[in-house]
Amino acid sequence: MAQQLGTAQSATSFLGRMLNWRRQQLIVAFLFVLPAMINFATFRYIPIVQAFIASMYDYSLLGGFGDFVGGQNYMRMFTDPVFWRSMQATVLFVLYKVPLQIVLALGLAMLLARQSIGTAIVRSAILTPMVTSIIIVSIIWAMMYHSQQGLLQSLLVTLGFQKIAFLSDTGRALPAVAAMMIWKDIGFSFIIFVAGLKGIPEMYYEAGIVDGANRWQLFRHITLPLLRPIMMFVIVTQTIFSFQVFVPVYQMTQGGPLDSTKVIVYYIYQMGFRFQDMGYASAMSIVTLVLLLMVSWLQMRFLRMDD
Amino acid sequence: MAATEIRVAHPHTVTERILGVVFGILRLAAYVLLCFIFLIPFAWMFFGSLRAEREIFTYLTPFSLQTFIPIEWTLDSYLTILGLNDAGRMSGLGFGRNLMNSFFVSAAVVVSSLVFNTMGAYFFSRLKFPGKRWMLLIVLTTFLIPFEATIVPLYIVVRSLGIENSYWAMIIPWFASPFVIFSLMQFMRDQIPYELDEAALIDGAGYWTILWRIIVPNTVPGLVTNGLLEFQFIWNLFYWPLVAVSDSRIQVLQVAISGTLGQNQQYWGRTFAGSTLATLPVVVIFLLLQRFYIQGVASTGVKG
Repeated sequence: MAQQLGTAQSATSFLGRMLNWRRQQLIVAFLFVLPAMINFATFRYIPIVQAFIASMYDYSLLGGFGDFVGGQNYMRMFTDPVFWRSMQATVLFVLYKVPLQIVLALGLAMLLARQSIGTAIVRSAILTPMVTSIIIVSIIWAMMYHSQQGLLQSLLVTLGFQKIAFLSDTGRALPAVAAMMIWKDIGFSFIIFVAGLKGIPEMYYEAGIVDGANRWQLFRHITLPLLRPIMMFVIVTQTIFSFQVFVPVYQMTQGGPLDSTKVIVYYIYQMGFRFQDMGYASAMSIVTLVLLLMVSWLQMRFLRMDD
Repeated sequence: MAATEIRVAHPHTVTERILGVVFGILRLAAYVLLCFIFLIPFAWMFFGSLRAEREIFTYLTPFSLQTFIPIEWTLDSYLTILGLNDAGRMSGLGFGRNLMNSFFVSAAVVVSSLVFNTMGAYFFSRLKFPGKRWMLLIVLTTFLIPFEATIVPLYIVVRSLGIENSYWAMIIPWFASPFVIFSLMQFMRDQIPYELDEAALIDGAGYWTILWRIIVPNTVPGLVTNGLLEFQFIWNLFYWPLVAVSDSRIQVLQVAISGTLGQNQQYWGRTFAGSTLATLPVVVIFLLLQRFYIQGVASTGVKG
């Protein structure tokens, strides 16, 4: 009887120790992921909640929270012509940049697909702007575009053309910024296309050649369809990146001339940090966020349709 | 492989041979032109930083080798922006401090991010935990949060934590990254056999020991790639330090250059020198570790 009780006791204490040990392991495991989760909560998710709250108030950096204004900051967007102009400039920028960048990146990827010293050098050259900081690129290109002493003016004059005002012309400033950003960003799409092309099995092309397909047909019926998922990925990520263009506008044109380059993120910056109207800036951030989430969501829908 | 590579292997006729040569020359010309387009701005900046200010304008036109290659080589522009000569001291320049700030902030972020993201990746790839899939979903959903569009809200949060205008403001928000966690997680999943840490568990090793003794040594290539991408990301940040930090003594190089040299386009030599300083570290690292870099970027698109 006493012996039986003893075994039962040691059994429960063994079970208890096991449970304890399991619980300890769980706690230890949780500690591994805790710092990262705290970071994401604090610096990725809470800002969105905070922005949503701030967007319902009169809120300035100096004065702090003022009156509750409800949806007024959102209503204000509808009647704010600058907001609509900035949305228009942003969409135009994306349209100037993304399609051309993707066509060029795919062309370059196909031109440089073979492995040789020559292609290796050209690849490094293409990727150099990508690793350089966007602010430095903007500073240097502003000097290249300079209406009198710019490097591009020197090239134009030497080739026998007139000088062209790039950044001070309402019609040319936005395309000029977009051209620079294609130059800067093309490396990303290029690398991804090169990797994608490598993933297409050689035998597809061999089979195509046996069937008498010419190069255009090989490209049209083998390369393009097989690149489609990657193409979608590049289009969507580039659209989202480009929609948020800020630094070149800040550095090169400050939104001008005549608001022709005032893109949405620059307008948000101006409203929040220059005009101290954080409430309205937050409301515009939320709208931009929702727009971009919708783009991502559409992407996922399309990608799923492919499978 | 690309369609361009599939060409008739044996040129039989003379026409085909000539065509081959013509294509070869065209291809080479295209290569040279591409290098030109992508590198000319850097050449202008780099050599412009090493010549006397007036030379930049004197030899601008016609567009020739002299537009770029200095006649009189000098380090004056560098001495000036670092505040090491009279001209620099008179203008109150001293970018050496901002350069150090950039290095310090980048190093702090890379180190802390590698530590915390490795721990996170280990958790997600190896450990058992109830609700782990939901937690991973929370991490991956942060991919969808646009970066520049949420700078204003991020600033509001950092301000309410009371750490704006400090080194902390430039380091703390970036000590964990969903991209790095995801990439390391994939690396650990694909490259390290599970038998290794299961054996260690049976031998009584704790999670921490397993992480440092088994996982980390086998994840080195992944850590290098991600550390490199992270360094580049932080070094090149502009919008965030611009709004988060107003004290010029703790400001990073990118913002200091933009404010002092970029806005008044007066001294081009100085601007070139500052820009070269801000560019060299990332470009040198990139050229040294290009292979890792390309793998890192390519995997985001092809796998993710």
